[in-house]
Amino acid sequence: MKRAVKNTLRGYLFASPWIAGFVVLGLYPVVMSLYYSLCQYDVLRIPQFVGLRNYRELLFQDHYFYTAVWNTLFYTFIRSPLVIAGSLILALIVSKAVRGVKFFRTIYFIPSIISGVILSVLWLWLLNPEYGFINSALQFFGLPGPLWLIDPHWSKPAIILMSVWSLGGGRMLVFLAAIQNVPAHYYEAVEMDGGGWWAKFRNVTLPFISPVLFLWFILEVIFSLQVFVEAYVMTKGGPLNSTLFYNLYLYNKAFDDFDMGYASALAWLLFIIAGIITFIQFRVSNKWVYYSGGAEK
Amino acid sequence: MRSKLNKTVIGLIFGLLVVYLFLPSQKARERQVVRYWFVAGVKEDIPPCVPWFNAAQESIHVEGIAIPWNEHEKKVLTAILSGDPPDVVNLVTPVPKWAARKALVRLDSILVQDRLDTAQFFPSLWQEMKYRGHTYALPAYTGAFALFYNKRMLREAGLNPDQPPATWEDVHAYARKLLRRENGKISRMGFIPQYGNIETPLIIAFERGMQFVSERGDRVTLQSQPLIEALRWERDFFDLYSVDEVSAFMGGFGYGNQHGFIAEKVALFINDNSFIDQIEKYNPGLEYGVAMIPSPDDAPSVSAAGSWWLAIPRGAKNKRAAWTFMKYVVSHPVQLREAMSREETLFPVNRRAAHDPAFLALHPFMHIFSEQMEQTRSKSVTPLVHDIFWREFSLARERSLRGVMTPQRALAEAERSIQFSLQRALEYDHYVNARMKTEDFFD
Amino acid sequence: MRRNRRDNYLIMGLMTLIALFFLLPFMWIVLTSLKPEAEVFSRALLSVTLHLDNYIKLFDKIPFLLYLRNSVFITLLSVIGVTLSSSLVGYAFGCMSWRGRDFLFYCVIATMMLPMQVTMIPVFVIFKELGWLNSFKPLTVPMFLGGGAFNIFLMRQFFMTVPSTLLDAARIDGCSEWSIYWKIVLPLAKPALATVAILTFMFTWNDFLGPLIYLSDKAKGTLALGLGQLAGQQQPEWAILMAASVLMMLPVIVLFFLFQKYFIQGFTMSGIKE
Repeated sequence: MKRAVKNTLRGYLFASPWIAGFVVLGLYPVVMSLYYSLCQYDVLRIPQFVGLRNYRELLFQDHYFYTAVWNTLFYTFIRSPLVIAGSLILALIVSKAVRGVKFFRTIYFIPSIISGVILSVLWLWLLNPEYGFINSALQFFGLPGPLWLIDPHWSKPAIILMSVWSLGGGRMLVFLAAIQNVPAHYYEAVEMDGGGWWAKFRNVTLPFISPVLFLWFILEVIFSLQVFVEAYVMTKGGPLNSTLFYNLYLYNKAFDDFDMGYASALAWLLFIIAGIITFIQFRVSNKWVYYSGGAEK
Repeated sequence: MRSKLNKTVIGLIFGLLVVYLFLPSQKARERQVVRYWFVAGVKEDIPPCVPWFNAAQESIHVEGIAIPWNEHEKKVLTAILSGDPPDVVNLVTPVPKWAARKALVRLDSILVQDRLDTAQFFPSLWQEMKYRGHTYALPAYTGAFALFYNKRMLREAGLNPDQPPATWEDVHAYARKLLRRENGKISRMGFIPQYGNIETPLIIAFERGMQFVSERGDRVTLQSQPLIEALRWERDFFDLYSVDEVSAFMGGFGYGNQHGFIAEKVALFINDNSFIDQIEKYNPGLEYGVAMIPSPDDAPSVSAAGSWWLAIPRGAKNKRAAWTFMKYVVSHPVQLREAMSREETLFPVNRRAAHDPAFLALHPFMHIFSEQMEQTRSKSVTPLVHDIFWREFSLARERSLRGVMTPQRALAEAERSIQFSLQRALEYDHYVNARMKTEDFFD
Repeated sequence: MRRNRRDNYLIMGLMTLIALFFLLPFMWIVLTSLKPEAEVFSRALLSVTLHLDNYIKLFDKIPFLLYLRNSVFITLLSVIGVTLSSSLVGYAFGCMSWRGRDFLFYCVIATMMLPMQVTMIPVFVIFKELGWLNSFKPLTVPMFLGGGAFNIFLMRQFFMTVPSTLLDAARIDGCSEWSIYWKIVLPLAKPALATVAILTFMFTWNDFLGPLIYLSDKAKGTLALGLGQLAGQQQPEWAILMAASVLMMLPVIVLFFLFQKYFIQGFTMSGIKE
């Protein structure tokens, strides 16, 4: 009993930096945004309490809300697996100790350090239907190039393509670090059993990096649900609202229309959506995530 | 002897240096400091009027601070929240948007006290400085719009190169003649209504005298004949080609020398006066002319305008000094001098400066812009829901243009959506006005 | 042996192919930064003459060295703060068992789900009340307080792969929790720490909104803010903007290249077997 109390105290002590940060910097904004979501409030003037009106209007009267939810879910469920698969493959390739591997890792990492504004200028150029790099390449292979960002059917895929390209390198890094942690003698055991690269990957790498993989399934969903910059800089939500993502709509409400109350309600609804998806993921995770550590007991 | 002389000289130089270093800083300390925030939108880092003002008098020192265009509204917003905002801000988003939210200091009393001549500003711009009968800002710079036409392209299409289209029907006829295809792709166009910074249907509606908001400001109207017809007029262009075809053609446009008009791919284009500088820079040989914006047969030409403006944010510490600087910037001589010394011509808001022979001499086309400026209407239609109005307006245009909806239906949807938001905003406004005061200049 | 060699060539080929895919667009940025402004949007990839003017002009446009100093200061403090505090908190969540742990951990994850657009203003108000506006504190101090949910989560997941037998053995030997964290777990987590450090560096180095809101003094500007200034003009001078972004990326690239020595096999190198 005494030991357990001591352990708990120690746990809180180790976690204290975060707890302190949360109490001082996190709690107040969370409470306030919840309160604002029940108000009309434009930041510059005093809030007016209106109860659940913002939520009611959002759910029953605002068709942009549903457009934004649809766009965002589409984006999230296409982008997340693509980014994870892509960056995992990258990480596997550069985890081999081949000559020049450091050099290649650096190159793969470069896209993720290009800052937002430049990135969008770059991609506006790449995706240009007339002289852009991508359509020129497609044309070279005799394929017709779409209009990308100016076609309501292709605008979301275009933004997904850009996300995968620019995020792959950073995610690769995390997977790489995880792969490096796999004890080498496990591979040796598989080799002795005559297993090839697939057996090694399936039976050793995958289970060992599953906690990190799980981490990214959670994070990737949370991050993609909050996609913003790409649409904000490149399309402003168009054409025909096809790239009106949730956070872009929220931003429009909060900072163009100064309707912080409505935006806060939007934020809390997103919180609930993200919470549900994450909850499901945690539930499913028991089936496939393997912790070699002992924290689960 | 010689070394002594050297020492004296060195000592003298050193002494002068010390004096030089000390004098200005001492002076600056005596002066009242006015913090002036402007959005970095023009080539010069600090607008020339700042050093001129600092040199012109001894009691105030204006410190110009550039804030980036991206997210600049957030920056100003948080500065006001912090309780320590700059003394003067220079912004372009509509004054009423900020004034309605009590973010700016009311200037009525100082205007009366100083007997500032408000007739010196273009009337539509001056109108924009007001919200519900009170004045909150002074206009600073603007851009004047007019029609640019490519003479060579007109000639090649068998049109009179010295006779630009005068009516919107003419624009249609010209566009038909100017259209050219090569290998099944569009290679040249006369006019693209959705290309450029100005909303053509809005202009047409303005020219027909359309009022978007009721007298009392509580009812917004979009579904009225002038605007429906304007959207139809815009839609009619797509009898000749599909939206995708035009989009692909426009995909080839870019900035600078890749601009559709500068690269001679589009023959008619409405833009502001700074476009002259762009043409000079990227295609100086371009054979072009400038004319008044077209209008319907039975109505005069009208342009839409907005301006950069100067205001004192609420909570500013040095209102009096800020006001002195603001008055200086908008005065005739300073406006004239500034318009003439900038690399990129900003249009003066001061009518006297805009009609000054010295300004008109800047470029043979300048008088057209000045004339057009006299007939402008403000784009700030619904201040409380400004951004919503424009988002809805462009969506309605896009829907009509792509044939997703009829003009009438698209405008009806937009109207409903704006009205809904306006209602919300008005209710909140009533609530706040009963409980919160707007800061006055003499508070 | 021969098969190994063939595999290596295959991997090399694959890596080169992918590298092209990543490198070509990036080269466009570099090449554009070497063009005169008037040619930026011409279709030719390369100008006739290489043009270094943009890099020189950059130093007139923004106080580059001053901004560099500020950026370096903020970034270094952030990296130190985040690696220290996120690993400590991550250890508490990943390697220790205590009452309330799981609940708090879900709180950590939940904080990521609320968009910062709506929490930004209240956070700003807190820093205003603390009197920290127009200083580097709002940008650096929070980094020492856990370093953000993302990093805590990342560290926790890494720590959970540390064999529990190892920790238990140390505990039975009478090691204090602190020395297990400091002497056993941290050295094992070098790849993870390096990852967190690099990602934090990247984030802080490129952060535009934070400095924009909290810093008003011109002398306190950062490089990202300067870059935003250049990009934010209505008619940006693209060539200079590209030059600025190349200069901003260089330190990150170099750092990343150097940091890679930490991406080595964690467990085998330290000779730990279960």
